[in-house]
Amino acid sequence: MSPSHRVLLEPSVVLHHRPYRDTSVILELFTRSHGRVGAIARGVRTEKSKWAGALQSFRPLLISWSGRGELVNVNAVEDDGAALFLSGVALTCGFYVNELLLRLLERNDSHSDLFQIYWNTVTRLGQGDEPDITLRIFERHLLQELGYGLQLDRCADRGVPIEPDVRYSYEIERGPVAYNENSYGVSVLGSTLLSLARNELKNETARRESKRLMRAVLGHYLGDKPLHSRELMQRSSALITKAS
Amino acid sequence: MSAATLIEQLIEALRCLPGVGPKSARRVAFHLLERDRHGARRLAEALLSAVEGVHHCQSCRTLSESPVCALCANPQRNREQLCIVETPVDAQAIERATNYRGLYFVLMGRLSPLDGIGPSDIGLDQLEKRLTAEPIQEIILATNPTVEGEATAHYINELVRPRNIKVTRIAHGVPLGGELEYVDSSTLSHAFSGRREL
Repeated sequence: MSPSHRVLLEPSVVLHHRPYRDTSVILELFTRSHGRVGAIARGVRTEKSKWAGALQSFRPLLISWSGRGELVNVNAVEDDGAALFLSGVALTCGFYVNELLLRLLERNDSHSDLFQIYWNTVTRLGQGDEPDITLRIFERHLLQELGYGLQLDRCADRGVPIEPDVRYSYEIERGPVAYNENSYGVSVLGSTLLSLARNELKNETARRESKRLMRAVLGHYLGDKPLHSRELMQRSSALITKAS
Repeated sequence: MSAATLIEQLIEALRCLPGVGPKSARRVAFHLLERDRHGARRLAEALLSAVEGVHHCQSCRTLSESPVCALCANPQRNREQLCIVETPVDAQAIERATNYRGLYFVLMGRLSPLDGIGPSDIGLDQLEKRLTAEPIQEIILATNPTVEGEATAHYINELVRPRNIKVTRIAHGVPLGGELEYVDSSTLSHAFSGRREL
């Protein structure tokens, strides 16, 4: 779907911005009805610009734009509610969520449910909820929206329901199969799969195993290029452990 | 044939300038060769001597002709305060606007994970060495109030915390002489939550 010629006050968020020429910025927006949109905002890096402060990540915005093709022109920007101030670990996790969307979403591919999930995720990060749980739930929804949803309730080989106390091998693009040492799949307990399906992840094992599972599955779709925000997360958490 | 190659080489080389595409590069190249050969020679010499003579200050990383820049070498400066800024221009702005007498550390960028800029790209290993070697008592984080600037400030705070050094962050708020009605909502809410007792 190519973007229409003129879009008015579309709920949007800035995923990434980079300076362009002397006074403009190129934005990667995530919008409710048009998905990821590349846009250029002209003349915003000047002292008199009204929007300079507004065009930051993690702020709900209403953006009007015009044009077609790879980069549309931003015509107006308005605040759509209070900004979320992410700081510290939550901010690094926010970068990670943005980087996943940048890497996995195609431009101009509408994902309106994912837009709402994105806001729920960022809001939960801002409130200081456990990032390990918030991020896993986001990743699961993201994969589902992209059509790569995980199979978490039934065995892929025999079709029987997952048993909490049984160990499985999760094979990417197939699902959980009976555990065997030679499988290339990720080894997980049935209880981990079930709690991931219920968005709970209450215990430590479930959190650790689902992190490893998600990393393998996302890695499959992301390809070889590493996620920069994940590197930063690892380095910051190493610093925090060193400090305490 | 070889002349064409030299012109092509010049056009290609000019394209390293920010905002210069093939068309502008061609225009500049022909202007220099046709109308301003003297200027072209001066430009070439100035570029060459600047590239050879200007390096990063060993102490604060700003651009400098001597191994240690004039500000870092000045014995009058307070060696117990260190202000961390993103660019040399930011340090100059603080110098002009405030009566800060301490030293600077210029990151020459900010942490920007989505652009692949990590802690080692902004000289934080060098900052750690300075913290060990020098009698610094206070770090003033003057990175920009953008999400990347905040991420940078947070990371440096974590880096400095085990060392028992005071870390402060510059305040964000309503511009002086401004009217609340016209201030954007996030600046206003930041200013409101960071209010001070009188």
